[in-house]
Amino acid sequence: MAAPMELSCWGGDWGLPSLHPESLTVMAYAKFSGAPLTVNTINNSWRTPKGDVPVLISEDTVISQPAKILNFLRKQKYNADYELSAKQGADTLAYIALLEEKLLPALLHTFWVEAENYCSVTKPWFASRIPFPLSLYLPGKMSREALNRILLTKGGPPLYSLTEVEAQIYRDAKECLNLLSKRLGTSQFFFGNTPTTLDAFVFGFLAPVYKVCFPRVQLQEHLKQLPNLCRFCDDILTCYFRLTVSGHSPSGQDTADANLQKLTQLVNKESNLIEKMDDNLRKSPQHPPRKLTTLKLAAGGEESSPLNRLSP
Amino acid sequence: MCNLPVRVVCRANAEYMSPSGKVPFIHVGNQVVSELGPIVQFVKAKGHSLSDGLDEVQKAEMKAYMELVNNMLLTAELYLQWCDDVTVEEITHPRYGSPYPWPLNRILAYQKQWEIRRKMKAIGWAGKSLEQVLEDVDQCCQALSQRLGTQPYFFNKQPTELDALVFGHLFTILTTQLTTDELSEKVKNYGNLTAFCRRIEQQYFEGHDKDNSGTAAARSAKRSLLR
Repeated sequence: MAAPMELSCWGGDWGLPSLHPESLTVMAYAKFSGAPLTVNTINNSWRTPKGDVPVLISEDTVISQPAKILNFLRKQKYNADYELSAKQGADTLAYIALLEEKLLPALLHTFWVEAENYCSVTKPWFASRIPFPLSLYLPGKMSREALNRILLTKGGPPLYSLTEVEAQIYRDAKECLNLLSKRLGTSQFFFGNTPTTLDAFVFGFLAPVYKVCFPRVQLQEHLKQLPNLCRFCDDILTCYFRLTVSGHSPSGQDTADANLQKLTQLVNKESNLIEKMDDNLRKSPQHPPRKLTTLKLAAGGEESSPLNRLSP
Repeated sequence: MCNLPVRVVCRANAEYMSPSGKVPFIHVGNQVVSELGPIVQFVKAKGHSLSDGLDEVQKAEMKAYMELVNNMLLTAELYLQWCDDVTVEEITHPRYGSPYPWPLNRILAYQKQWEIRRKMKAIGWAGKSLEQVLEDVDQCCQALSQRLGTQPYFFNKQPTELDALVFGHLFTILTTQLTTDELSEKVKNYGNLTAFCRRIEQQYFEGHDKDNSGTAAARSAKRSLLR
């Protein structure tokens, strides 16, 4: 069980451990289930991303898609769904399908297809993490793949132009966010008080929308009108990605409960205050997570530029 | 399930008549509405809805399960029909091209196959083997079976759109002859799902067929589960 497992994925920014929804899902699940994972973010070295990202390497096995990675972790006895009933397990599958069908196209569009977002944020960010000359080619390829996927799955008649498809996918995504918000209600996680696979997937999809600063942000604005989803993302970020002591999440959560209550009150104020809270929390004295130090150092350099963009 | 009078007509050019290129579609007065989602909304706008009695959380669950069926079952059915070479050769090409003379039947079949394969590649299913697809179907059926439990319908006493959708897919899987029976075996593993299909068939289809002046095609299309 103690075979060291390495996860290769895209790095993070804007307070997130990763910008890539699937990488974020796997990282969140690993934190929830207590799996010891060394995270290697893809950076400017010559170990270029081949094929799918994220990739889990454990001894000799290489596993690439999030669903398969989570299955592997469960077989290694890192199971965050242990206490779920059969019906809740079925609900998990159904909600994940909902996310992939309704929310993912809009997410891909915001990141990769929307021209202003792509040119000013996504492309420079990803290109800076891929070695030259692949950095000239790979972001463009990812963008084309995203557009292809959106058009093939959502773009048939009677939607004949890209603008109609865009309108439809954003409508679907907003409806999906509303449904998730209704399902979450006032509870802390989707199935009670402990996070599960569904929480990992929802977090993986929502957090990039919530945190990344884009010029065109209609989805983010809609998300910010659903305070329980924003609170959900912030809770996971503060509990599992800042305060973990030894990679075993429940012990970190006990010490963070007092902080959590204070945080929940503040989260209910306007969204600008939420972002300032993130900065304050980072500077306050807490146990720094050992595994994420490399991430924090790498993210520290880029944080100054998004902050400059935020200030009026 | 809504007790609306409907006449089923089979046409070879149905896909072209439909406004979205997909079947089924309904023709009401001078309006044509295609695909399940819009048809449900249209019927709802006219005042018939099956899901009015559900609260918000249940409606969210219903939508999620409908997406699960669309995501997994529908994609698996398409994969099996168009990406599995044996099935394509023996069943799909002849069936799809049957209303047309040669060479149109081959051309149209290849065109559709190419289109479906492109879509599979875009969503990442092209790399899956048949076993993986069958495993996904099994997982989906397991989820549906666990959700259904011992209830007569998914949301207890009343049927909803989800019941109609699940019935449509499962009935087709159970009654369509393919080269192998693996897909229908996966569904048959779950007794409550087969009982569910049988119950809906008996309740809604066997009664109506007697009143229907139905076409011969409709009658031959009705294959009973009670074999």
